[in-house]
Amino acid sequence: MKPMHTLALPRLVAAGIVACSLVACAPTPVVPEGAIQARADLTRLQSDAKLAPLAPEALTDAEAAVQLAEQLDAAPELAAHRVYIAQRKVEVAKAVAEARYAERERTALAAELDRARLEAREREVDSARMDADAARTQTAALQAEIDAMNARSTDRGLVLTLGDVLFETAKADLKAGSVADLDQLATFLSKYPDRSVVIEGHTDSVGGEDYNLGLSQRRAESVRSYLMRHGVDPSRVTTQGMGESAPVASNESAGGRQQNRRVEIIVSNPPATSM
Amino acid sequence: MLNTNHARRGRRRTGLLAAISGAALLAAGCASTPAPTAQIESAQQAIDDAERAEAAKHASPELSQARSKLAAANTAVQNEEMEQAARLAEEARVDAELASARTAAVKAQAANEEIRRSNQALLDEMDRAAKGGTQ
Repeated sequence: MKPMHTLALPRLVAAGIVACSLVACAPTPVVPEGAIQARADLTRLQSDAKLAPLAPEALTDAEAAVQLAEQLDAAPELAAHRVYIAQRKVEVAKAVAEARYAERERTALAAELDRARLEAREREVDSARMDADAARTQTAALQAEIDAMNARSTDRGLVLTLGDVLFETAKADLKAGSVADLDQLATFLSKYPDRSVVIEGHTDSVGGEDYNLGLSQRRAESVRSYLMRHGVDPSRVTTQGMGESAPVASNESAGGRQQNRRVEIIVSNPPATSM
Repeated sequence: MLNTNHARRGRRRTGLLAAISGAALLAAGCASTPAPTAQIESAQQAIDDAERAEAAKHASPELSQARSKLAAANTAVQNEEMEQAARLAEEARVDAELASARTAAVKAQAANEEIRRSNQALLDEMDRAAKGGTQ
């Protein structure tokens, strides 16, 4: 590199001297370099089908300025001035066209946005309707299931009463073939996993109180085991033996005593927001 | 901000007028080229327009160039270089016009970008709703 420099410099100087002497004799007018560049930029802009039609006046202006800059007879200072103006006017034309292009684009974009907003609203309405439909369907299904289980709604939740036909006298084992209601309860609980149950055993007043308490507790446990065998999580089921403490009818008559011998299953209402 | 701008412009105007009238007197005296009053006025007008369009924010190099060219034009008038003054004033005007045009383009493009962003946000939102809403 270094020898190149030392060699090149004198050569350039020599060339310069030759060029100078040539110019002095016969100055050949040339189009200023800047004007050539301005012409190229202008031509590119004029042939831009997207932009050119958007700034006709500015392009006419730029064309005139470029033509002026291309004149051969101008003094160097005037030529430089004309080139500057020409370049700037080409840039102005380009910026004007770009601004207008963006403004037109905005109309289309705004229309697109309106369409999207409308669609979003429609979808929202649809989805709200679907949610409402689903909730109604669910409520109806729940009611049907409750009806099927012969349960009644109370302040404590749903109360399902299983009669003494489930058990042999003084026994806590469930009678085979009498568990249809329990099967329905198990299905119900698997469908509504946010609900839990309390199983209460009750007896009539025949027999000792302690014995009755124990029997009612064992019968409640027996129902709980049945539910667990049918897939209900043990944590959702609690039991309580009530003995003869909460009769629903008089223990004086056989019919009343039969009503009192029962298992009540209280299904808790779900947490408020889930339905 | 506005006040200082006005004040600055006012001062500039006064200086400009003084320069022009001074130059005019001299020109009359010497019977040489008259000062390029019209060019200087129209350059000032173009700069004012650009400033109003907030070119200082969106096309500040072009606006600065316009201002310093106009200042140079006024100096040239004082030095009785009328031809030079006329050229500088014309260049100042074109610089200011470019500042305005670029500002308009930048603003329009930014506005479109904003709409595009809202649009995309909305589409994303709908997408999420469509995916998450069916559970």
